Amino acid sequence: MKISEILSPERINLDLKATTKEGVLRELVKLLKLSTAAQKSLLATLITREELGSTGVGSGIAIPHCRSLVAGELVVAIGRSRTGVNFRSMDGKRAYLFFLIVAPPLGDPSQYLIALGKVAQAASRISKDKRVKDFKQRKQFMDLVAELEA
Amino acid sequence: MNPQLQILIALQDILFLIREAKDPTQKKTLDKIGLKMDNLTSLESTRVELEGQLRLSILSEYNRVRQRYGRIVAPVIKGICYGCFVKIPSAIDASEKRNQKLHRCENCGMFLYWVDR
Repeated sequence: MKISEILSPERINLDLKATTKEGVLRELVKLLKLSTAAQKSLLATLITREELGSTGVGSGIAIPHCRSLVAGELVVAIGRSRTGVNFRSMDGKRAYLFFLIVAPPLGDPSQYLIALGKVAQAASRISKDKRVKDFKQRKQFMDLVAELEA
Repeated sequence: MNPQLQILIALQDILFLIREAKDPTQKKTLDKIGLKMDNLTSLESTRVELEGQLRLSILSEYNRVRQRYGRIVAPVIKGICYGCFVKIPSAIDASEKRNQKLHRCENCGMFLYWVDR
């Protein structure tokens, strides 16, 4: 499984406006183009997941994730905030890059864990790439993800 | 969406989160990535709070279904209940407002949610 294969340009937002954790989650969920009710359900689950422990893994990265009934398939969405958001990350620093992963509850749980692992690995490499902060086009982000996975 | 269905979906998602947090294999993998799942108490209290918002008749069915299957709501994809893989009657499946009413599978008894495709 490659992230570049499940990611699409319309699921990337390079200019998140939100200044709060909930706001970021809302903007990321919006990228999935679900019905209003499904968006509401998914947002509630992601907020509940954050209560369990922050998904801010440090180094400016957060990986909000959950398995939700409203997801028809494994999906990934990416957001970038220019100012950064307090995501209660492990290192106490602001998060700038957000990688949302949502999977349906059915199916092999190991696939979901594999996807999470791959996204975490890619997220770490992407965050170290200095070009990322200057990207203006979503395609540039897509190309970088593909490049890192090649 | 039917408000009671919305609560049932939230409950099902929470039950999955609790299961993940308690599963040693999953927890180990997530810990390795740096994704902590420590505050189970908060999750349990959210679950109890949501259960309190269910109508009594639905709550008793929720408890029955949950005890039997460990899940409450089955996704419906292409007219099939993914709780028992039986076809849902076309009259219900074809309705545009199908998620606005609370439906249950005639075969397995799980509550039904039509997933956006």
